[in-house]
Amino acid sequence: MSSTSRARLGEEVWKTRTDKINAELVTLTYGSVVAQLCKDLDGDYAEVNKQLDKMGYNIGLRLIEDFLAKSNMQQKCANFRDTADVISKVGFKMFLNITPTIANWSSDSKQFSLMFDENPLADFVELPDDGKAQAELWYSNMLCGVIRGALEMVQMQVDAHFVNDVLRGHDTTEMRISLVRYIDDEMPADDE
Amino acid sequence: MAGSTTSYYFVIIGTKDNPLYEAEFGTFKQGGDGVPKFREEQRHMNQFIAHSSLDCIEDLQWASKEMYLKTVDKFNNTWVSCFLTGGNIKFLLLHDARSDEPIRQFFTDVYDLYCKTLMNPFYEVNMAIRSQTFDQKIKAAAKKYL
Amino acid sequence: MNRDTSPFRPASTGASPTPKHASLTASTNLRYSLTRKSIYDRHLNRTKTSELSKSAFAFLFGEMVQHAQKKVYGVQDLEKKLNQHGYAVGQRFLELLLWREGRTAKRETRILGILQFISHSLYRAIFQKPADTLEKVRENEDEYMISDNDPLVNSYISVPKEMSQLNCAAFIAGIIEAVLDGHCFPAKVTAHTAPSDMWPGRTVFLIKFEPEVLEREGLRHGST
Repeated sequence: MSSTSRARLGEEVWKTRTDKINAELVTLTYGSVVAQLCKDLDGDYAEVNKQLDKMGYNIGLRLIEDFLAKSNMQQKCANFRDTADVISKVGFKMFLNITPTIANWSSDSKQFSLMFDENPLADFVELPDDGKAQAELWYSNMLCGVIRGALEMVQMQVDAHFVNDVLRGHDTTEMRISLVRYIDDEMPADDE
Repeated sequence: MAGSTTSYYFVIIGTKDNPLYEAEFGTFKQGGDGVPKFREEQRHMNQFIAHSSLDCIEDLQWASKEMYLKTVDKFNNTWVSCFLTGGNIKFLLLHDARSDEPIRQFFTDVYDLYCKTLMNPFYEVNMAIRSQTFDQKIKAAAKKYL
Repeated sequence: MNRDTSPFRPASTGASPTPKHASLTASTNLRYSLTRKSIYDRHLNRTKTSELSKSAFAFLFGEMVQHAQKKVYGVQDLEKKLNQHGYAVGQRFLELLLWREGRTAKRETRILGILQFISHSLYRAIFQKPADTLEKVRENEDEYMISDNDPLVNSYISVPKEMSQLNCAAFIAGIIEAVLDGHCFPAKVTAHTAPSDMWPGRTVFLIKFEPEVLEREGLRHGST
């Protein structure tokens, strides 16, 4: 499937097969989750990042089913570049109505970046002015976990983490995704 | 002759009668230079005048459904104008002449800035507002309308 | 300004990990992105009509419930946590909606007024539909009920089996409570499953006002 038809598929799923909801409710709910974690963990932002990633991972494991059903995608992605395309144009489009740009491919085609021009989770957000949050907190870290969990369900072990975030004062919001390996069907996922 | 000596004291008060933000402005109207001209003892009085107007507001807030309550109290030559948000946050402006409409416009801008502050998940109701951008925008609104 | 003799109570510094400043002076430590407008430079109506997928919310909410469940003692405690999340959301929607009404915005000063605001305007803004009923509890003069035949948070979220008593609409109860509190109508709001033949997920929000609210209503408007 070509990249353009992917984009069309994403649009179509969003327009015709997606029940929608007030975006502000999602944004504020996510905000409440992050703020509460920061409080519960007493400003240990490294741990907050970890928890957000974990929550996202749990979501990813379940979300893939919804994704496959709605997108009606039959065949597996041919390669990791293909996968990147689907994540951006169909996955993000379907759930968050955004299409992050794919950039910065590594020469071996195993690493790429998602560039977020928009990020509905971070609308209204300014990080705490405590001299720490802007250096340590990845506010939208749940998204990394979602990708990691969802791809694991389709036999791909990846590493996903943010490397830039406009909330930290950077000029871009960038998530780096690296393929670790394709998981063999015979082996249990946690067997390393 | 020097420009206008009209000065304003502005304070945002939380639901527990706690101040969340305060500022003083001079006027830019009638040749004013925007610098507040409060004498030291008046500065101190301002807080007390603002604080003592809270009782009046508590009565008025049940008599009117408006958010902008206009002038709610007067002490010597100082008027107190009030805007009350849905979440019971009070914007108080102390001024020495009545001018309802410009003050309404000023409060409207303040409400916009307050809502933006509140939408941030890391801000909680009744926290002091220390954002420098907020401060700059409030002062810009004062310059525009007062 | 001399804070020691100030007649005001000190501002709350909150429980969040921000430093406890002694005064109200502005801070300067944040770095701002050159490509992103500050929160103060973005229009509040920018997201007014934005939509996301319902399942994105369902996944987020479900995980929020799962996460909250880890550190609680029983269903009541969990519902309290959901209520708190809802409360934070409700506080923000309240001001946002009034701000959007502009010059015509009105504060509600009567019990019935604020309840109607909640079951119509607020409900419609958040859930794209009004609440299904608003009733007074006949036996108790301090109690009211708002019902929702099919609360969003129940139709998409599957509750873990060991938590069959749980009603996730405690989150919505928190939203309602925040709006009542904000308007100085302090009340306790709880969510109760009340299925009907047609609506198995039907939920009733029971609103019990603090005595001061009824006193004020009687005092100011001559009715009891």
